[in-house]
Amino acid sequence: MNDEQLILYYYADGLSKTERRRIEAALAADPALQSRYDALRRELDGFGDASADAPAAPEHLVARWQAGIDRAAQLERQTERGPARVLHLASFGWGAAITGALALGIGIGVYLPSRNVPDVSVTPLPAIVEVAPSATTGDAFTRGLQAHFRESRENIGGLAVEDSEARRLLILHIVQQNRLFARAATENQSPELSRVLRAFEPILVRLADEDLAPEEAQRLQAQLLFELNVMLTKMNRPPSDRSESI
Amino acid sequence: MQKLHPFIFALLLAGMLAPALALADDDEVDDAERLKVAAIEALISAPPQRALPIVTRVLQGDDSDEIKEKALFVLSQIETQEAQDLLVEVARSGSPELREEAVRMIGINGEPAAMASLADLYRAGDEDLRVAVLEAYLIADDADAVLAIAEAATTADEFESAVQTLGAMNASEQLRALRDKQGMSEALIEAYAVAGDVETLRELALDGSDPQQQADALHGLAVAGGSEANEIFMQVYRGAQDEELKEAALEAMLIADYDEGVLTLFQESQDPKEKRRLLETLVNMDSDAVWDIIDATLENGGA
Repeated sequence: MNDEQLILYYYADGLSKTERRRIEAALAADPALQSRYDALRRELDGFGDASADAPAAPEHLVARWQAGIDRAAQLERQTERGPARVLHLASFGWGAAITGALALGIGIGVYLPSRNVPDVSVTPLPAIVEVAPSATTGDAFTRGLQAHFRESRENIGGLAVEDSEARRLLILHIVQQNRLFARAATENQSPELSRVLRAFEPILVRLADEDLAPEEAQRLQAQLLFELNVMLTKMNRPPSDRSESI
Repeated sequence: MQKLHPFIFALLLAGMLAPALALADDDEVDDAERLKVAAIEALISAPPQRALPIVTRVLQGDDSDEIKEKALFVLSQIETQEAQDLLVEVARSGSPELREEAVRMIGINGEPAAMASLADLYRAGDEDLRVAVLEAYLIADDADAVLAIAEAATTADEFESAVQTLGAMNASEQLRALRDKQGMSEALIEAYAVAGDVETLRELALDGSDPQQQADALHGLAVAGGSEANEIFMQVYRGAQDEELKEAALEAMLIADYDEGVLTLFQESQDPKEKRRLLETLVNMDSDAVWDIIDATLENGGA
């Protein structure tokens, strides 16, 4: 059983009743699986926890990610048969599913809908996670989302325009995190936030296009940074100000 | 003294700088643009009734599209009828770039009446605007609207775009509805994979009536994953008479990183050519099993 199925089980979403019963039975029968699920649940409960510093990923996992990237790259070469398609969200979903899942998904506890995420424990990527506790926000979800916005802003602001592969991998990382938070926003009855999070993805996907002109990349970067800033400002407002503002 | 809102302060500054723009050099223009961006950003702290007239003025004025795009995002966060009407107006009559951005903002805002306007915009729009509408439906998670577009599609490309969007939305129910109405296609199989509809892919992978469709479904299963997939790869590989189908099953095992299955097939095979192919696949998969096979092959002439 892979982590993706356990993540869906955690969020009580995306699984049929039969699948849920199967996972429940497996958890009851297999202490090792239960322990893995407990670790995953702690991870998902605490993503964005104010006190958590992201530890560096263990070397053996980094090696596995790298192997995954190599395999995905090989596969992409093998499957480059038909005429090239314009990169957009949907084709990105297909083409990047493998690369994204292998290269990044395993590292960040992602929600990647029903794709082939390798079966390894969930460990944060060695990314900078600056999470300042906010006196104005109460729950882990809000703090986690603020941390995600801040981290995305930092990563997007520092995107290496000249290195398209590094840019693509970093963007995939942001996309996966974004999907996880979009799912969490839905779970937290925040459809407005879900929509904003989903709206980042088409822009991110365009930014990952290696043929993107530098000036267009700059424009997209600027728009995303603006939107992230606006959302952070909106979320950081004291509750007393919220009724008087947008 | 009454505290000055940050947005008012930023706007005052922006207003002070604006007249000098005509004579400013490039650096000063950049600075002025940055200040305008900061001013628009500060609007998020303003009451909607104060922010809306300012956003409206920006959108109807001579500012660059970059500035107007930012104003559109602030507009998307205002939950009044006037704001939604303005979004729709820009989506209908702005510059091409602004129209696409306004459509995206309608998706972010998610208000039903504005969302309903997207269908007309799609019908009348060019290819770029149509992509923007599909993305807006994805943002708003409106799979039924995308299904309607797929059902009414008049070209293969249009159908494919809608189907891919449904895949990205994990809209399995809508994708199955399309299969019932329009038959199977490669785009639909890809979308099943992206949506993770293992049940449908399994059915297609085991349906021997169309080997190409079977191969596509195997590929899709490998991406979609799931514990059943490995058994299906083995079942299809063992039963395939067609070399291309065998190759598709093997490729699926490579994608799924199912080296145990490839090893089992290697051990079962009596055909040296097939064994070489399976060994190559294990090497490509960087499987630990390769070293045991190499040892055994060199010592015994086979594993």
